[in-house]
Amino acid sequence: MSLLADKTQGPVLVGAHTDSGAAFVPDQSRAERKRSYAVADFTVPNGREEDWRFTPVDRLRPLFEVGPDDRDGVTVTADTPDGVTVSHGTPGSVGLGVGIPADRASAVAWESASVMTSLAVAPGAAPAEPAVLRVTGHDKARLNGHLAISAGAHSRSVVVVAHAGSVRCGANVEIDVEDGAELTLVSVQEWDDDSLHVAQHDARIGRDASLRHIVVTLGGAIVRISTNVLYSGTGGSFEGLGVYFADAGQHLEHRLFVDHEPPNCRSDVAYKGALQGDGAHTVWVGDVLIRASAGGTNTYELNRNLVLTDGARADSVPNLEIETGQIEGAGHASATGRFDDEQLFYLQARGIPEDTARRLVVRGFFASIVQRIGVPEIVERIMAAIDRELGATPQTEADG
Amino acid sequence: MTSHIEELNPGLKDIGRYQFGWADRDEAGASARRGLSPDVVRDISTRKSEPQWMTDLRLKALRLFEKKPMPTWGSDLTGIDFQNIKYFVKSTEKQATSWDELPEDIRNTYDRLGIPEAEKQRLVAGVAAQYESEVVYHQIREDLESQGVIFLDTDTGLREHEDIFREYFGSVIPPGDNKFASLNTAVWSGGSFVYVPPNVHVEIPLQAYFRINTENMGQFERTLIIADEGSYVHYVEGCTAPIYKSDSLHSAVVEIIVKKNARVRYTTIQNWSNNVYNLVTKRATCDEGATMEWIDGNIGSKVTMKYPAVFLLGEHARGETLSIAFAGEGQHQDAGSKMVHAAPNTSSTIISKSVARGGGRTSYRGLVQILEGSHGSKSNVVCDALLVDEISRSDTYPYVDVREDDVQMGHEATVSKVSEDQLFYLRSRGLTEEEAMAMIVRGFVEPIARELPMEYALELNRLIELQMEGAVG
Repeated sequence: MSLLADKTQGPVLVGAHTDSGAAFVPDQSRAERKRSYAVADFTVPNGREEDWRFTPVDRLRPLFEVGPDDRDGVTVTADTPDGVTVSHGTPGSVGLGVGIPADRASAVAWESASVMTSLAVAPGAAPAEPAVLRVTGHDKARLNGHLAISAGAHSRSVVVVAHAGSVRCGANVEIDVEDGAELTLVSVQEWDDDSLHVAQHDARIGRDASLRHIVVTLGGAIVRISTNVLYSGTGGSFEGLGVYFADAGQHLEHRLFVDHEPPNCRSDVAYKGALQGDGAHTVWVGDVLIRASAGGTNTYELNRNLVLTDGARADSVPNLEIETGQIEGAGHASATGRFDDEQLFYLQARGIPEDTARRLVVRGFFASIVQRIGVPEIVERIMAAIDRELGATPQTEADG
Repeated sequence: MTSHIEELNPGLKDIGRYQFGWADRDEAGASARRGLSPDVVRDISTRKSEPQWMTDLRLKALRLFEKKPMPTWGSDLTGIDFQNIKYFVKSTEKQATSWDELPEDIRNTYDRLGIPEAEKQRLVAGVAAQYESEVVYHQIREDLESQGVIFLDTDTGLREHEDIFREYFGSVIPPGDNKFASLNTAVWSGGSFVYVPPNVHVEIPLQAYFRINTENMGQFERTLIIADEGSYVHYVEGCTAPIYKSDSLHSAVVEIIVKKNARVRYTTIQNWSNNVYNLVTKRATCDEGATMEWIDGNIGSKVTMKYPAVFLLGEHARGETLSIAFAGEGQHQDAGSKMVHAAPNTSSTIISKSVARGGGRTSYRGLVQILEGSHGSKSNVVCDALLVDEISRSDTYPYVDVREDDVQMGHEATVSKVSEDQLFYLRSRGLTEEEAMAMIVRGFVEPIARELPMEYALELNRLIELQMEGAVG
């Protein structure tokens, strides 16, 4: 190195620095982040890593080490209409070939999973009813989930995955939307308050295919869902919708990464969350990468957080990386605010009791997302759940 | 003086004998010493006849610098070789250089910018000019001086106002704040020291002009601004350097203390040549009712990582950042702002505009943090990026951390390309494509340009035209 050649005279403490020259280069793009099936490729997170810095990693420790399923502690039932088949097999080394773990928890779940549940929609099928998978855990059962969903070419379907009960669950969900298919996938987390759930969803969207990916997170001690989306052809469309409601002590984290590589695809992400109670914490990270080849991309991300009481914390990080100017449009918006007293006052002035008024305001906040979900049963359940959450408010008087 | 310091630190005597590249006979920057060690740090301190506490602080900062890892985020900094940098270049060496000695294309650029001429005029008007490691010129109008306004280079500030200096130095940005703040604290030299007494309004901006001339030079100026209660000051800085084949490092620290109901505006037009790593820590604290405004223009440099911060510590304090960045070929402007709300009813605004062309990369990276108890706080962040071709890149990394319910926080970003319609419209009125493009870009940054003092706004417009030259076709 030149420092030796250029040294003039006198003592220069060579070796005092180890950080010049061959120093570490930070990832220059979201796409550079490591992916691997091997657990050993990921160290156990200590909370200082960029992708774990918001997460209470200490409490997730059980999900960072390989371990067997508690097979008796978890029940999985399936409700399938015509055109949809569910089967259970072994994951093999690459599963459906769509997902690759991007963090320790995902790699652990991948390696530990003994069963891969496959849900397939036949090509061209358009079942009238949604397919429903119910996952229920008991007594903090360990579950290493691996779900492979494939929507055959030109099919139109709705798939609901409903989670409830008490688990320690690491999971991988692979979603393959073949050319021309339309899939609505709803993942509902209504876990008990002691549940841990870390999941990675990987979606591949084919040519002119569209995926509507809906995440509804209401229960669980820690829930972290990382969704990665890529396109395998032009004209693909991704709509990512999310609704979450964090109570005291809950940590609900949603991460998205949309990787635009082929041209003329679109993505539209909108997540809304409410926080209530001491220590309620929500994290939303939305990464969008538009590669140089992805001309004609149109993307927008939105996150809104409504903080209902003191002591809650909302982190919101919408990141955009754009490598070409030939785009249709790109943008994001994030806002965090408190309950609007004026709206409450307006409703109260019209004779609506305060608790009803509060409910109306919060329902109104979520309405713009919930209305887009388009699955009536789910919409009703979400609204009922929001009402329940608000009913749990210990004090309904205006708190400042 | 020297003997006094030697008494305090007997080890210095031996070091004094080395002289290394520091002797006056070493006229050119080329022979200045490279590399970093405790000796180099002690030597800088000795040559400035500093009090012992400062020497100790520098050495402590050096240890912190050595301990701290390089950032694990942001731009690629592997091009920096800390042992190849000249940490202190005595300013007299400037006499060995003149505009004529510069490569022709750079000289042309400066002539077109009118910088030699402007420099001359500003010296007449009263400015600080830093050349290499030291401020070679400073002057303040007599009427301001008679009101008690202090405007000195930082070295003189330490000598003449040690009490104030010691109270505030490192109080906003401690030596261990980050790796580059540690480095600056260890080897700082030059910069401005400003104190504005209570209720004094300095109507005309104080100006500083920074220049790196030596290849592989590290410039580490340190600026400390204290605006006492109810006062106002506007500080303007500009930066340039010639282009060499290997890289230089500029790592400044700027600390600003804005006391109750005072207001400080700090304007930077950074136009380092694109072989300069520009890694700067700038931070202000605002007491009750105080206002801090950063106007941050990043046009030059190879890599800039700079996030001017405001810590809102008193009720009704306000922070504002207007940030503008241009990245051309081979440039990465990683700029943004940081607002920390630590008191009730505080407000902040960040407006960022960036333009990338020719394969350049602009990144907005920001943080808005609203701490518990800061109820009634408001923050709004708006980022707009303009991409003028297919090979450039624009990123947005806004962090938001809200720990209080009674707040309003908003963030918005848009990235767009120059519209064909706008171009067509202007061309149909007789403008060339290049002129039309420059006009669109000027219109895009206008909301920020109009906040600049006139001469800087003109300079910015000229720079945009230069940047956009060759952007089309």
